[in-house]
Amino acid sequence: MIDAAPPDERGFSVFLREAIKLPAFARRDMIVAWSYRFAFFSDAFALVLQAFLFYFVGLLVDDSKLPEYGGSQVSYMQFVVVGIALAAFVQVGLGRVSAAMRQEQMQGTLEAILLTPTSPATIQLGSVVYDLVYVPLRTAIFLVAVAIGFGLEFNADGLVPALLVLVAFVPFVWGLGLISAAGTITFRGGSAGVGFAVALMTLASGAYFPLDLLPDWLASLAVLNPMAIAIDGMREPLLGTVSWPETVDAILILVPLSVISLLAGIFAFRQALRRERRLGTLGLY
Amino acid sequence: MPATHSSEQAPATAGLQPAPTAPLLVEVRDVSRSFGRVVALDGVSLVVRGGEIHALLGPNGAGKTTLLRVLTGLVEADGGHVRVAGCDPARSGRSLRARVGTVPSGDRTLYLRLSGLENLVFFGRLQGLRRRAATRRAHEVLEAVGLEEAARTPVGVYSHGMQKRLSVARALIVDPAVLLVDEATHDLDPEAAVTVRGLVRDLADRGTAIVWTTQRVDEIRGFAGAVTLLAKGRTRFSGSVPELIAHALPRRYLLRLADVRADGGPPAPALDAGLGGLGSIEATSVDAGHYVLSLEDGAVLGDALEAVRTVGFQLLSCRDERSEVEEAFLALTREEDA
Repeated sequence: MIDAAPPDERGFSVFLREAIKLPAFARRDMIVAWSYRFAFFSDAFALVLQAFLFYFVGLLVDDSKLPEYGGSQVSYMQFVVVGIALAAFVQVGLGRVSAAMRQEQMQGTLEAILLTPTSPATIQLGSVVYDLVYVPLRTAIFLVAVAIGFGLEFNADGLVPALLVLVAFVPFVWGLGLISAAGTITFRGGSAGVGFAVALMTLASGAYFPLDLLPDWLASLAVLNPMAIAIDGMREPLLGTVSWPETVDAILILVPLSVISLLAGIFAFRQALRRERRLGTLGLY
Repeated sequence: MPATHSSEQAPATAGLQPAPTAPLLVEVRDVSRSFGRVVALDGVSLVVRGGEIHALLGPNGAGKTTLLRVLTGLVEADGGHVRVAGCDPARSGRSLRARVGTVPSGDRTLYLRLSGLENLVFFGRLQGLRRRAATRRAHEVLEAVGLEEAARTPVGVYSHGMQKRLSVARALIVDPAVLLVDEATHDLDPEAAVTVRGLVRDLADRGTAIVWTTQRVDEIRGFAGAVTLLAKGRTRFSGSVPELIAHALPRRYLLRLADVRADGGPPAPALDAGLGGLGSIEATSVDAGHYVLSLEDGAVLGDALEAVRTVGFQLLSCRDERSEVEEAFLALTREEDA
């Protein structure tokens, strides 16, 4: 006779068993991304074109209206390139996190994955693990390439604190992506307000212009925007001087926001999957 | 890991006659499920033992796929009792999915940009295998399904038959205790369908319990040991294939006749006149000498054939226009409609 099935295991061994599945997802998505070589290279090319666009816009900008970093005046190109990099990170990261599950659903592979002994959390994380590695890498390569190409000066010592701020900000984006993914699975169609969320966050982030230019009421709200905190926390060490207390302050604000965003995202995503199981509509798209 | 079902317990004629001592691997009792006002399953029950192929037969919308989704835990039952490989699908998700293989009906459940090998390695790793073990196992099952030569070809350029075989290979990666197959042959050519059925039969021979859903009624004869016929979410029949065939009420036959009348003349009016009230007969457009005989209710085939012989025709052959299984299927599903 067949043995009675053991209860589902919990704890650290399960965590490890799930964690070792993540490279499989990354490998899968890397192969798929590489199979679309034209899209791969056109994405990089578009980013370079965007840098050129802002270079010419920068020729019209009076640098004296830009904030000083480390007591020095920066050029518009220096100012905006950090914003471009982070805005692209948010746009690509958030878009892909929310679209990953929808894509699986549309392809018809979501059910096949859910039929393996893999937890929903692993499936979600696995579906974006490639992007979580690729997008920050793409951001870093972009910054270095633009700095060399346009002869921009960045503070090399500021790379580590800027990266730490970015790392503290990543889970915030991921959490929003999960909430959006939950909305996408539940309501189908579209990426459940991703475009609106990105536009709103970017507008009030200081990515392309200083927050001082916003109306007072919006500027006061914007300083609470995690994206604005992240951009400011990256600009300061990269364009000015490294101030660890300020970096730590930025991280201390970002970490709780990221935790809240991530927990809310995981909760929303689980609830969405549970609802689909209850309704039996997981395979519908 | 795979279930601890022993191949020694598998009967020699696996699929058709499971040993009574074989483990009970699928147990469904009085299961119901509705989607809004639509009743998809209404008090459905079935049991499947290790080594048995149990056909789940029914027309579109009968509830077959819903039942498979209940068995895999993708859909929760509203009521009833379900155990699969010792697990409650609604509660023991991970344990269940480590013991159950699934061959879904669609061919979109594979990554078309990946090769067959990469697909299997990916799903093998999700089953908990390390990369090296997953790769080794992927090669083994690719060979088993005859796709080793296409291992590194993107699945997007596979034929339907190859994709279906790959889908079966994916289910074999963990040597499942239970295999759930959803209309695996519905869009395959006969040769590919035979191959897929052969792969599934091999698995049953090793002690796996198979639930095989299909609309191709004829494929279950000589393949499945037991059959449950669903219609509109309810069980219309449950038993062996011969028992199902006993429900067949064939009324139309294909006859091949030789005209041995001395006087000649058009055969159809003579045959109709000879049959009288027993039925009607018409020539097929395919071949001379071929006719379709339709019996009236209560008429007996032997009487009709004797009437044909009496008016000067020699009977060369006679067979059901449809198979007995198809007749039984139609009879039982029509009962439901009535």
